[in-house]
Amino acid sequence: MTEAAPALEDLFRQEAGKICAWLVRLLGPGRLELIEDAVQDAFGAALAQWRFEGTPQRPAAWLAIAARNKALDRLRRDMRLESLDPTDEAAAWRLGFSNPEETGKPDDTLALMFVACHPALSEEEQTMLTLQVVCGFNARQIARAFLSTPEAVTQRLVRAKRRLRDLKLTVEIPEGAELAGRLAGLLNAIYQLFTGGYTAAEGEQLMTEERCAEALRLVTLLCEYPATSTGEAHALAALICFHHARAAARTGARGDVLLLAEQDRTRWDATLLARGFVHLRGAMAAPELSALHLEAGIAAIHASAPSFAQTDWPALVRCYEALIALKPTPVVKLNAAIAHAYADGPAAGLARLDELAGNTRLSHYAHYHAARGDLLLKLRRHGEAGAALLQALECPLNGAERDCLVRKLRACSTPPRQAHS
Amino acid sequence: MPSFMMLLHRPVERRPMADPETVAGVTREYMEWADRTRAAGRLKAGSKLTDDAGRILRNESGRVATTDGPFIESKEIVGGYFLISAADYADACRLASECPHLKYGSYIEVRRVEEL
Repeated sequence: MTEAAPALEDLFRQEAGKICAWLVRLLGPGRLELIEDAVQDAFGAALAQWRFEGTPQRPAAWLAIAARNKALDRLRRDMRLESLDPTDEAAAWRLGFSNPEETGKPDDTLALMFVACHPALSEEEQTMLTLQVVCGFNARQIARAFLSTPEAVTQRLVRAKRRLRDLKLTVEIPEGAELAGRLAGLLNAIYQLFTGGYTAAEGEQLMTEERCAEALRLVTLLCEYPATSTGEAHALAALICFHHARAAARTGARGDVLLLAEQDRTRWDATLLARGFVHLRGAMAAPELSALHLEAGIAAIHASAPSFAQTDWPALVRCYEALIALKPTPVVKLNAAIAHAYADGPAAGLARLDELAGNTRLSHYAHYHAARGDLLLKLRRHGEAGAALLQALECPLNGAERDCLVRKLRACSTPPRQAHS
Repeated sequence: MPSFMMLLHRPVERRPMADPETVAGVTREYMEWADRTRAAGRLKAGSKLTDDAGRILRNESGRVATTDGPFIESKEIVGGYFLISAADYADACRLASECPHLKYGSYIEVRRVEEL
């Protein structure tokens, strides 16, 4: 009947990063912990007060002012400035606070990303801190993404923030040679945000969409800011656009996973695909060729194929070979083998997959066994195909992926291996 | 139209807060009631009152004595109020009966504002 109002948590999450970025600019990255606490206080106050006041006319501004006041209150206590009146606007200005209308400036968000992705932190901490302070996810949500506990995540984040505080950073977007090095950290964090979001870990569909959307928002920000709009930033943006465009088509009517070959390509988001190609052009304009360029190129080949059968497999194989040269990871080799199978036949692909057998990373990777099962099925080696698919089912999977494998397993006309056979 | 005061009594919370999702859901229900009632022109004001004990002032043989409120000993406090417009008590109670406070608080006291 009534249209569902946006969940308060969504509103809070969307505003948290903006408010945090604004307050970090005003108060400095050293006060990140205090700022985070103040933002949480503000959300608590909103939950209590909005019950009686109803929705404020401008909820975002309400939250920004509340967070500013809570931060001021905490500062006052920390600095023993008891005499300072929290409602004294002039005093607030002297402490560096200003107009809450200023939240949501892209420059602030960008500067905050550089703080969160500071090289003093590990890659995982950078991604976690980005999720928390830039994207507004809470410890519980981050814990789900990292298969950790909220307590452990909170502890790591507190320690990370203390380390940043001790560095006495200033909030600014780095320049020149420093920028190039620091940008790599940002791109990696966004890449993690996106790949972690693209296929949610075990059983967790929640947050997947949101994380991809956040990754897209942040990488778009990088592409719009002159100093950070490098070829790699555009390549990452293109990659995310191409994958995100397929989001709706990846799931069938019952929430089941649809493979690339099975997807209804008319359900791909044409606007996002177009955006992807614009970014791809931006990526190609840059002199360097990075792994991200090749990954974007691979995604583009899929995106521009009218059907799965009409995919330009030889071009894909060339892209993968170039990618292996830059990024020789087992997962890249696995995908290259699959491309080979389509370009040169299942036997050629299987031979390449079997070369990777024994790799410890892949032996617990469901997609490796699933790909073998698929090729064996095409070669009519049903018994071996069934065994490979069973192996895949023993790896960590989310529910939808599991169903997809079970579906394939049924296609092996011979029954799965029995213990007594 | 006469005004009525809805005093929202709730138990003194000594237990830890429920998880944030639940709290957000409850808040959303209150906000929907308040927004709906305001949109109908029936909600004139509303505020949360702080969770502390408040103060009680008494005249003790000509001298004003201020003490902390009774909140520490009592099991109930007024957590907030709404000021609404209604034709009569029946109408006011009809409005109040839809308020989610009856689900999550303890009781609502409805009092008519005296007008000349």
